[in-house]
Amino acid sequence: MDIHAVSSQIDLDIQQVDSFEALEEFRLRYLGRKGILAELTSVIPSLSKEERAVFGQQVNALKNKLLSLVEDKQKSFSVSPEKRRRTSSDLGMPGLAQELGHLHPLTQITDEICAIFSRMGFTIVEGPEIETEYNNFTGLNIPLEHPSREAFDTFYLKEKTEGGKQKTEKLLLRSHTSPVQVRVMKKHKPPLAIVVPGRVYRPDAVDASHSFMFHQIEGFMVGKDIKFSDLKGILAMFAKAVFGEEIKMRFRPHFFPFTEPSAEVDISCIICKGQGCSVCGRKGWLEILGSGMIHPNVFKQVGIDTKQYTGFAFGMGVERIAMLKYGINDIRLFFENDLRFLRQF
Amino acid sequence: MRVTYNWLKDFVEIKLPARELADKLTMAGLEVVSLEEKEGDFIFEIEITSNRPDWLSVLGIAREVAAITGAKLKLGAAKEPKSLNPKTKNLGPKINIENKNDCSLYTARIIKNVKVGPSPEWMRQRLELIGCRSVNNLVDITNYVLFELGEPLHAFDLDKLDPEKIVVRRAKPGEKLATIDAQERNLASNVLVIADQHKVVALAGVMGGKETEVNEKTKNVLLEAAVFNPLIVRRSRQALALQSESSYRFERGVDLEMVRKTSARALELIKEYCGGEEVTFGLSGLTKVKEAKVALDASYVAKILGINLAPIKIKQMLTRLGFKIQLKSKSIFNVGVPSFRQDVKQQVDLIEEVARIFGYARIPVSLPSIRPDLTPEKRRGLVSEIKNMLIGLGVNEAITYSLIDRRGLNSLGFLVNAKPVEIMNPLSQEQEVLRPTLILGLARAAAFNLNQKQDYVALFEIAHLFRLEEKPAEELALAIALSGTKSFLTEQGLVRDEASLLNLKGVVETIFNRLGIIDYDFINRGASGIDVYAHNEKIGVMLGLSPQTLKELDVKNRDLFLLEVSLDKLFSFAKLNKRFIPLPKYPGILRDISFILKEELSVKDILALLKEKGQPLLRNVLVADYYKGKQIPAGYRGLTLSCLYASSERTLTEKEIQPLHDALCETLSQKFEVKIR
Repeated sequence: MDIHAVSSQIDLDIQQVDSFEALEEFRLRYLGRKGILAELTSVIPSLSKEERAVFGQQVNALKNKLLSLVEDKQKSFSVSPEKRRRTSSDLGMPGLAQELGHLHPLTQITDEICAIFSRMGFTIVEGPEIETEYNNFTGLNIPLEHPSREAFDTFYLKEKTEGGKQKTEKLLLRSHTSPVQVRVMKKHKPPLAIVVPGRVYRPDAVDASHSFMFHQIEGFMVGKDIKFSDLKGILAMFAKAVFGEEIKMRFRPHFFPFTEPSAEVDISCIICKGQGCSVCGRKGWLEILGSGMIHPNVFKQVGIDTKQYTGFAFGMGVERIAMLKYGINDIRLFFENDLRFLRQF
Repeated sequence: MRVTYNWLKDFVEIKLPARELADKLTMAGLEVVSLEEKEGDFIFEIEITSNRPDWLSVLGIAREVAAITGAKLKLGAAKEPKSLNPKTKNLGPKINIENKNDCSLYTARIIKNVKVGPSPEWMRQRLELIGCRSVNNLVDITNYVLFELGEPLHAFDLDKLDPEKIVVRRAKPGEKLATIDAQERNLASNVLVIADQHKVVALAGVMGGKETEVNEKTKNVLLEAAVFNPLIVRRSRQALALQSESSYRFERGVDLEMVRKTSARALELIKEYCGGEEVTFGLSGLTKVKEAKVALDASYVAKILGINLAPIKIKQMLTRLGFKIQLKSKSIFNVGVPSFRQDVKQQVDLIEEVARIFGYARIPVSLPSIRPDLTPEKRRGLVSEIKNMLIGLGVNEAITYSLIDRRGLNSLGFLVNAKPVEIMNPLSQEQEVLRPTLILGLARAAAFNLNQKQDYVALFEIAHLFRLEEKPAEELALAIALSGTKSFLTEQGLVRDEASLLNLKGVVETIFNRLGIIDYDFINRGASGIDVYAHNEKIGVMLGLSPQTLKELDVKNRDLFLLEVSLDKLFSFAKLNKRFIPLPKYPGILRDISFILKEELSVKDILALLKEKGQPLLRNVLVADYYKGKQIPAGYRGLTLSCLYASSERTLTEKEIQPLHDALCETLSQKFEVKIR
């Protein structure tokens, strides 16, 4: 019998072993009293002295290999498969499964909000974070001299100075998601129903409630018969979907350059249910978004006929909503990425 | 803006309790952020939006109270004063406004023989209730009138300047002024100043000079009431880092037609509480604003708001707010805009007024009809799918800042050959550029967690990165960071799995497979990491951080593996249309090959060779196992490949397969010097 052939056969056979029964069979075949190893050993006395030494060593090596293979396999089936399948072990033990990762809470809130508007028929659109001054301001009826255009309210990009070449338009990091309104309305004809999630930037010093980078969701609708009452209806559905059927909502007059009439929207405090607590500053109301009817000047900028079309727009801070919904008290936690934080969501 | 309940009552009859009034104001757009009861009065703190400077006065808020409660506005102190006698008009000091665009109206009133002393008790109390410190009767009167009527005033000590001529001009190079707050200020040339013939005496609209300030010894006063250009006041305020109640109002715009009334009101109070008599009154500039006319169509009110209001109702509401209404036709009005409402420029501005007074709360709720748009959201959908795959693979989503420091980028060296986009006005060096890679932020987040004693960190981020090309460009990218040892229980007990490049490769291969991308490759570039290719285009990089970089990140005794790929590029290769491949009709045969292979040789080449030589029967080759250890000589590793032989025409037999399988083993031995076991 060729000892090398036996060795490679062993390698093949051991791979087929997938149960205790098969392992026992394997062990008996090779290591049993009438097994192959015994057969090999029985040949030894018939060999010459020189042959005996070499062959004996080879048989011994084979035996060691077999023993270690059997031991390894045995370890891998520490419990009898029969028993494992039917009676199971201690069910008080934790179940065995791969641990899931976690989506960032801001992603979860953004997805939830976008899904709500999606179900109402809105299309989700995204836009670039580097914007032109026109899309971020002028196109939105924010005049050249508006304070929000100042360098301490908007990050501007350093301009390339190329040998006195004429400068192109100033570029900036969008300070809100509203420039996507301008982009969409310039490209597409009404009727439009759009939501825009995205990152925005403002040079605010970082503290528990301010961040120079944050997230917004913008929404707008343009059509022949879009009214303020529709804005109220859409946002009421949104608030109920996010914060529950019980939630109350109120619209307060406010000022935004790109809407007129404009409204700030409050929901009844989700902590104290409107009774007044420290979260709502004893007011019973929490401001969650800004909204209004799209200003005719914006329509003029994008070339939409104000005689035919009207529209509403709204925008909200994702961090604010996530903080309210989850009870998070420090905006910096969102960007620290501490696993102990992320795993809670 | 603070205002008290009793002070409002000077101008309007209020029947509502303070709390209810506060709610009404809030719902009309004057958000009452706090209401405090003090000394028998109530203090309302109101947030005034930047478009409504007319609300920065007791009178302005009283006008709103009248409009929302239906009460009548009592003009009282704001009435046209008798002293507006045209005869005294130009008798005052000579006023020279260098540029009418900087200052549209300047008035100077000279009052002599005043007695400076303490203010009357009621005035001191009102000022203190709204948070204004009482100084003396003269200064208090200018402040009182400012809060009452919204027009800033300034009183100069007449004897400390040359009243021959008052000049409103820009500062000259090198000019300085010590302001009331006792600071010596260098004046930039864009700062608007008030000067006499010799020197600067005040920063127009912002603050007066120390030298000409009134004090207990002041006998004679020059009282200034004027209108300065909002923008110029803002620039001065910014240049000098000075904010005052005056600059706050000038920046937002004051009512030109109230200037003379305001000055007269102050005179009236000065006469009463400081004695003194008016000597002259001088004026230069405009005295009236041309009344703006805006047409309002009642049917458009319905179109915008969704409510039908009778034209008469609309007329009533607007009239109460001070608009002058003329009926042009049955439902079209010609609306005259009062001078204090410079914010009203077009029809929608009037519609907002109607909505405010009607009450936003009373506007009904309706739902628009929406035409469904089924345009697939390809990119966002794919991003969402990848995120879900990653969390399924146990990787957590991180969100890190897009603005980073250049120093950190430099430490990554070769990774960042792209020029970063620089921020003109960063808050600090930590945020001076837009990141050209997600790797730095993610590596820091991983390092942060390792230092929080996490044994295993798996993070990813999907976000834009930015590069300075012809112009600044942005690209959507995915980055993954793995580090540490993952421990998990199995039936056999604890298994500890140390993160490696292959883990990272496995994660990203899962994504490639899901997107239908089969043509990809990982090419080792040695010190500069591993380039990731799809369809022969480089789409990203994978690497283990160098000890030097790990040290800079403060990571001890750990490896940190990172990957970044461009999703924009990846998505361009995605094959999402699935085609069914018929299931095999005949069973295949599995045969394993076990061998040892030199460490430096790549399994990739072996698999490629087998697939080539094994055609057509060899359908698939998988790595079934690999091992190192006692049984394997140094410099080698053990491998088991699982080969699937099958045919679409018949059931294969062992006999048929054996020669092919042997031949493949032989080829391996020859080409790769493997030792078959």
